Amino acid sequence: MTLQRFLLRRALMVIPLMIGVVFITFMLVRVGGLDPVGRLAGPTATQAEFDSIRENLGLDRPLWEQFGIYLGNVVRGDLGESWLSNRPVLTDIKERAIISLELLALGVGIGTLIGVPVGLRAAFRPNGRFDQLTRILSLLGFSIPTYWLGLVMIFVFFYLLGWAPPAIGRMSLLVSPPDTITGSYLIDGLLTANWQAAWSAATQLVLPVICLAIVSAAPILKQTRAIAIEVLASDTVRYAHACGLPEHIVRRVVLRNSAVPVLTFVGTEVTGLVGTMSLIEYVFAWGGLGQYGLNAIISGDFTAVQGYVLALALFSVLVFIAIDIVVHLIEPRSELS
Amino acid sequence: MAKTTPTYPTQTQPFSARQRVSNRLIGLFRISPTAVIGLLIILFFGVLALFSPWIMPHDPVSSYTDRVLQAPSAEHWFGTDGNGMDVFSRVIYGAKYGFGIAIPAVLLSLIIGVPVGLIAGYRGGLLDEVLMRFFDGLRVFPSIILALAVVAATGQSLLNVVLVLGVLDSPVFARVVRAEVLALRSSNFVESAVAAGNPTWRILFVHLLPNAIQGAMAQTAVRAAWAVRISATLAFLGVGVQAPTPEWGAMIRQGAEFMVSGQWWVALYPGLALICMVFGLNLFGDGLQDLMDPRRRAAK
Amino acid sequence: MTLLDVVNLHTHFISRDIDNQVRTAKALNGVSFSLASGRILGIVGETGAGKSLTAQSIIGLLRPPARIVGGSITFEGRELTTMPDAELNKIRGEEIAMVVQNPRTSLDPLTRVGDQLVRLHQVHRGGPKEASHKRAIEMMEAVGIPDPKSRARSWPHELSGGMAQRVLLAMALMNAPKLLIADEPTTGLDVTVQAQILDLLRDLVARFNMATMIITHDLGVVAHFCDEIAVMFGGCIVESGPVRDVFAAPAHPYTRKLVAATPERFRMGSAKSLSGQPPDLYNLPDGCVLQSRCAHATDLCKTPVPNIEVAASHFSLCHYAGKLDANPAGQVQA
Repeated sequence: MTLQRFLLRRALMVIPLMIGVVFITFMLVRVGGLDPVGRLAGPTATQAEFDSIRENLGLDRPLWEQFGIYLGNVVRGDLGESWLSNRPVLTDIKERAIISLELLALGVGIGTLIGVPVGLRAAFRPNGRFDQLTRILSLLGFSIPTYWLGLVMIFVFFYLLGWAPPAIGRMSLLVSPPDTITGSYLIDGLLTANWQAAWSAATQLVLPVICLAIVSAAPILKQTRAIAIEVLASDTVRYAHACGLPEHIVRRVVLRNSAVPVLTFVGTEVTGLVGTMSLIEYVFAWGGLGQYGLNAIISGDFTAVQGYVLALALFSVLVFIAIDIVVHLIEPRSELS
Repeated sequence: MAKTTPTYPTQTQPFSARQRVSNRLIGLFRISPTAVIGLLIILFFGVLALFSPWIMPHDPVSSYTDRVLQAPSAEHWFGTDGNGMDVFSRVIYGAKYGFGIAIPAVLLSLIIGVPVGLIAGYRGGLLDEVLMRFFDGLRVFPSIILALAVVAATGQSLLNVVLVLGVLDSPVFARVVRAEVLALRSSNFVESAVAAGNPTWRILFVHLLPNAIQGAMAQTAVRAAWAVRISATLAFLGVGVQAPTPEWGAMIRQGAEFMVSGQWWVALYPGLALICMVFGLNLFGDGLQDLMDPRRRAAK
Repeated sequence: MTLLDVVNLHTHFISRDIDNQVRTAKALNGVSFSLASGRILGIVGETGAGKSLTAQSIIGLLRPPARIVGGSITFEGRELTTMPDAELNKIRGEEIAMVVQNPRTSLDPLTRVGDQLVRLHQVHRGGPKEASHKRAIEMMEAVGIPDPKSRARSWPHELSGGMAQRVLLAMALMNAPKLLIADEPTTGLDVTVQAQILDLLRDLVARFNMATMIITHDLGVVAHFCDEIAVMFGGCIVESGPVRDVFAAPAHPYTRKLVAATPERFRMGSAKSLSGQPPDLYNLPDGCVLQSRCAHATDLCKTPVPNIEVAASHFSLCHYAGKLDANPAGQVQA
């Protein structure tokens, strides 16, 4: 199968998935009878005003009609307006997406760089001292609440040691942000040679990134170890031993055969890690999409929640597809020629 | 000449009951120390939850207005919080919430997930396809966000938290059970049960269930750990549990603002308790897998 | 000239059960045989008799909790049981080569077939890559793979079962081994393909003067392609000798049952599994392992069993070896 046909097939599979996702999002916010009308109307509204607002929002139509309208709007890029910010939700999201992406990429990237090699090393000597230690550490990583870790790190590194800056967002209050090119303070600062801004952005990034790295390393470590152990027990490796291949070559065989399953796993983990990242943003007042979404949910900002959840789902789907394509490109066994 | 047979002590008399019990315990510990230690931790918290009235030195919800934000001392081992309440007693009492939420939530997940998995795996066809696609669709949403959104929308009570967590986690069990059923569906004993004219529900619940449930049981500890974690996260965000309830997540929420002013004990101790309990559950769940894996038993 | 000498090999699985009691499965109990260059030995037995385990013990690839607890294995005078793994690794794949059961899953799925052959040669022999490549093509030709130059660029999953098995044979031959161990080399293959592979094998043995051990549960394979046979049961070699003699006049009750169960003049692929409980390796009886299933068993069978030479090089592990017809003949036990 050629690359084009493959991509086309994937795209076709994604469309029903996305419709399903939009549907779930749509139902999600209507599940408990959350009433957006009350919020918008305020405490002094009369019944007539209530009704007119309801009609405006289209909430008097039957459910399936509402869904159709919503779906149509989504396709056109209209995600409604946030009642908190009074701006189009899409704008809110577009501004904040890159901020969260920066944190996610750094955190998960470092977490993977730690988790994969450690997991591999543990697998090569299962039940040895290193392995026992890493198993305990990774289970610990599963058990630590991210937000608590963030708080403790703030206490230790900011309050006690004074090494880290106050956790009030992406940039110190004393420094003005650089000109916007990408939206990331760090990158923009570097691109515009604004060293003060770049430095401030970098120091603000340290704690949240470490937090996210620790929490993402745990599942990646555990799964990498499990995958590598399975590969080590496979016919391929047994035969490699029977052929007298030396240790370093067997290691390479194991690495290469573990690569695809590990990559696939990291792709699926990203979804959960987006949730974790949102909590970190909340604790560090990061101002990214995660914090926006959490606030929206807690304060009942109906349209913003819909937009946020949809954006997260879309991101996950894109990640899945990207990993899928990469896997098919490097696997000789795939249908892609 | 090669090595000689190692000699092991041979048993000449049958074991007494006490010896049998201790042998079993040692045997379990050798195979999976993590399972044993995890279980001990869980039991420890269970004791805390059950016997809290007798263990707590102070009332967890009564405040000493003259002792607000005191550092840990002999009188208040974990210090006092912003309302002057004893953190130590509150942490002990909080164990109740851990179990009180996790146990019903996991039970609910099992009650929903296992039958769904059985039916989907056995019947197959359109129902199976639709269900699996739906579950796959759910996977693109981070579970925390999903839980948060639904709980926030449906109302802030503990019952809601339990219901939502129970429903949200059922796909995990459904998937595990379905996989087992798919493997067993074409086996001999199922085919003969069908041939003997057993009605479907009987085949599902009498024949397939006992075999398919193993995988699901192995998951319960890990899912319980997840339930405890998520419910604490929800409480931290202010959803589902209100102050001054001595739930660990809510306590961390209260203590958050004091972390930057130096009163670290308010948020630290509930967090540590949370870590320990979740760790114990995870350890136990992980250890269960060891027990079921025959490859770990080479004697030294 | 004897290449391989296995003397009194004992391999046990030693583990602790859930009650912390040590449990020992005695999987190989005093296995002895020898093999000379250019000879083909067939090891037969039902599943669990210890055939594969013998091969694993020889090349030192036992997985815990299995380990060699007694006996010796000498290869060209060198003792293998006490050799450190690094040295054994040099012998594996070069002087002793193994052809395994699942060719398609045993080949590295992420490396082209030709590259795997070259890698194997480079690891043991070194030298310029072109020389290894040339040899790889030669070996592929030798095992009858058509159009070897383009086949060398295939991925393992693109090969059929028979083709993959030929590749494994080529892998085994890359470094001119002195001993070839083939573990169920034809199981799962089409019958015609089986015959081709075995013909090929016999031809290669003759050409390169290798000693060969074929492990199989199929008597037909042994009948057509082996010079010598060793019948295994319960971790013991119950009968051994030249193939023709053993089949013409089986001197052990187990061999008799085996032969009787394959009446179609040893047609290949008609391997019947003998009914009967496999022996409990954790609780082997004193004396003969076959006691509970043997129609001829008497109290004498509870004592240690001698290995009696009933004819030239033809041995049987039985108190009544050579005297079976004097015993009241029993029905084959179900």
